[in-house]
Amino acid sequence: MRRAACFAVAMIAVAAALAPPASRGHGATPQKVVETIDIAAPPAKVWAVVGDFQNFGWLPGVAKTEGDGGNAPEQARRRTTFTSGAIIEDRLVQYDAGAMSLRYLIEKIDFKVMPINNFSATITVRPGAGGAIVEWKSRFYRAFPGGNPPDDYTDEKAVAAVTAMCRSGLAAMKAQIEAAP
Amino acid sequence: MSRLVVTFCALALFATPAGADEAFVTNQGSDDLTIIDATTMTPLATLPIGGKPAGVAVSADGARAYVTSPEGKFLSVIDAAARRVLKKIPVGDGPLGVAVSPDGRRVYVADTYGKRLFEIDPETGATRSLAVGAMCSGVAVAPDGKTALVADRDDNALSVIDLAAFARVAVIPVGRHPYGVTIDAAGTRAYTANVESNDVSVVDLDARKMIASAPVGNHPYTSALAQGRLFVTNQYEGSVSVLDAATLKPLGKIRVGDYPETIAASRDGATLYVANWFSNELWSIDAASLTVRAKAPTGDGPRAFGAFLRPVN
Repeated sequence: MRRAACFAVAMIAVAAALAPPASRGHGATPQKVVETIDIAAPPAKVWAVVGDFQNFGWLPGVAKTEGDGGNAPEQARRRTTFTSGAIIEDRLVQYDAGAMSLRYLIEKIDFKVMPINNFSATITVRPGAGGAIVEWKSRFYRAFPGGNPPDDYTDEKAVAAVTAMCRSGLAAMKAQIEAAP
Repeated sequence: MSRLVVTFCALALFATPAGADEAFVTNQGSDDLTIIDATTMTPLATLPIGGKPAGVAVSADGARAYVTSPEGKFLSVIDAAARRVLKKIPVGDGPLGVAVSPDGRRVYVADTYGKRLFEIDPETGATRSLAVGAMCSGVAVAPDGKTALVADRDDNALSVIDLAAFARVAVIPVGRHPYGVTIDAAGTRAYTANVESNDVSVVDLDARKMIASAPVGNHPYTSALAQGRLFVTNQYEGSVSVLDAATLKPLGKIRVGDYPETIAASRDGATLYVANWFSNELWSIDAASLTVRAKAPTGDGPRAFGAFLRPVN
């Protein structure tokens, strides 16, 4: 809950900042974020949530998810609207139910959600000692396509925003799954 | 298992007539360079670089390595044998792709933000530059030293540079978002790996036009040629596509580490080396059997973007 609140605050701070030029470019250094969480539930129960690409509702701040293509790689797309009105559009790249792993990328993002570009991520569910372990690993660039980014568009701010999203999302997913009967 | 070990040892003994070549791997996350024995796949040294190093090019004689730092905006000149940084030369706003002339006297660097190609005399540090395309990335110099190619990523094109005149003489449209560019040994064909169109483009350098393209995997990044085959890293699927370089017929796919970036071929064409950005490893692959030979640890976020293998004679 505290992490979800932090993410919401970060979103507002970024929304107030100067937007980078309208360009598809990005920074020169790809960034990595890997976040994991232990969930006290069978891996299959966790995968039932993670593996439903058309429902991103477990991420705090999401008002609705719309999309089509189900869980079909390169066909499935989803459009997530946040309570702030900001939108992210994702495309599913790979889907392996046997390995309980999927990879997706962001096709379009409001920089007020996160100041990033060229984001792709893999979410994997593995058996763990206490039930399941969920790993959310991502690669992305800062949105600003130049050598001297403004303060709100640095690599550090990009990493902080993605880290906040992953932590708040995994914490909320854990709470939702562990509370379910 | 023991037969495998014996086979591997035999390979290690007989496959190195020219001494052990080395891999110079730039680690953008950990801000350094790992030097790896390409035969034993053992790390030999780590050099601090700074400025988030990405591009690398080793001179044909193996004496120098040049490393670009796009965030630091400089080129590091490295004594490759002594494993020592000799100097840092400021270059533009975001130096990324880099290549060395065959005689080793000039270094070419793509300034990805400044949309320029820099020519640098590594001895004196003198530079000059010309305009190329948006988010220029990979650079390659033809074997005769007369032509350089620059992948202008966001223009979906290759710039052709006449190096004697130091002029941009042609712009060749290719697939969407070309990143790495590779020229064959004869200097007649070039190959671009196109990140957004998930294919490779083949360019005829005399005709200065694209003559073919072929689909590969998801998010292709760079390519290498060995044994008449084209090897292409597919970043979003952790694989290397293998094609017949002449016919572009698909010959297979090799599973590699997570987010493979740059691939390079050994001088004898027997081995390929792949830097895996997310899993922090350099893998070696047998070019004939298409199987993985060995893995070496790198620093964080290996890019090795360029001709990263150093010949040791």
